[in-house]
Amino acid sequence: MTPSLSRRALLRALLAGLMPLTACRRRTPPAPKKDVDLFIASDGDFLAFRPDELTCPAGAHVHLTFHHTGKFLNAVHNWVLVQPGQMEAVDKYAEKHDGAVAPGDPRVIAVAPMCGKGETVRTEFIAPAAGDYPFFCSTPGHAEDMNGILHVTK
Amino acid sequence: MKRNRTIQAAVAVIGVLAVAVPLSAQLKSPDDVKTALRLLVQVSNDFKRQITNKNFSRVPHEYMEYTEAADALRSAIKDEPAAFKSKVETRLKAAVTAAQHVSDMSGTASDADKLMAEHAKAVTAMNAVFELFPADLRPDPNTPPPGRRGRS
Repeated sequence: MTPSLSRRALLRALLAGLMPLTACRRRTPPAPKKDVDLFIASDGDFLAFRPDELTCPAGAHVHLTFHHTGKFLNAVHNWVLVQPGQMEAVDKYAEKHDGAVAPGDPRVIAVAPMCGKGETVRTEFIAPAAGDYPFFCSTPGHAEDMNGILHVTK
Repeated sequence: MKRNRTIQAAVAVIGVLAVAVPLSAQLKSPDDVKTALRLLVQVSNDFKRQITNKNFSRVPHEYMEYTEAADALRSAIKDEPAAFKSKVETRLKAAVTAAQHVSDMSGTASDADKLMAEHAKAVTAMNAVFELFPADLRPDPNTPPPGRRGRS
């Protein structure tokens, strides 16, 4: 046995001895986020979401699919989830920006992009704390009728 | 005598049946017609909303949608008798022209009241189209749109 190997063996033994201690100090790993798939669509060419209420648990990794079921009108729709009480303010901004939501707007939790009739878009987000969160279509003039609530449960 | 009574009874039964069958059943695609008429009302209301909000730059966009809703109605009645289609087309053209006038005015006008007055004329023209269809297919002006109608 060479002296270098013996030093290496000593180091390994030392680390092995410390391992249980570090494991004790480590926090319990967070439970993996629950994946939730949500599906929502426009009410054909009418200004409404179907369904207009969705539910998911807090902290869930939500995969939301939005389908534009229109057949006749070339109106575009999207799906915007915002903090409680912020729908009107965010919509006001969107009205002045051709339906666009400001990137990085802290009032906005998630956005599924604009799509035309027959198209499907998706978005992902981590569900916020328990509560009721409004969602709407930010095409100018649509939010008043085309909106709904995401119920986030504990 | 007995034969006459039988004929009278048969005529009465046919009469009752004719009344009992809804007028909309006489159309080839009543559901499509109902949808198209509702779309016309929806877009007409959107016109009004954009004018009320003084969002005049959006009015031409609403006009485009109005023409699409008019096309949806044309498509819904494509299998109807030519005389009926012609009647609808005449009134529909008048309604679309009235809507176009509102759109054209929005490019230069900044007076919402003037635009609303013009829009009222377009609504009258649209209602003339509705009169050609059975009452059970016409949108109820008092029914709110299918959305939640509310902001939070």
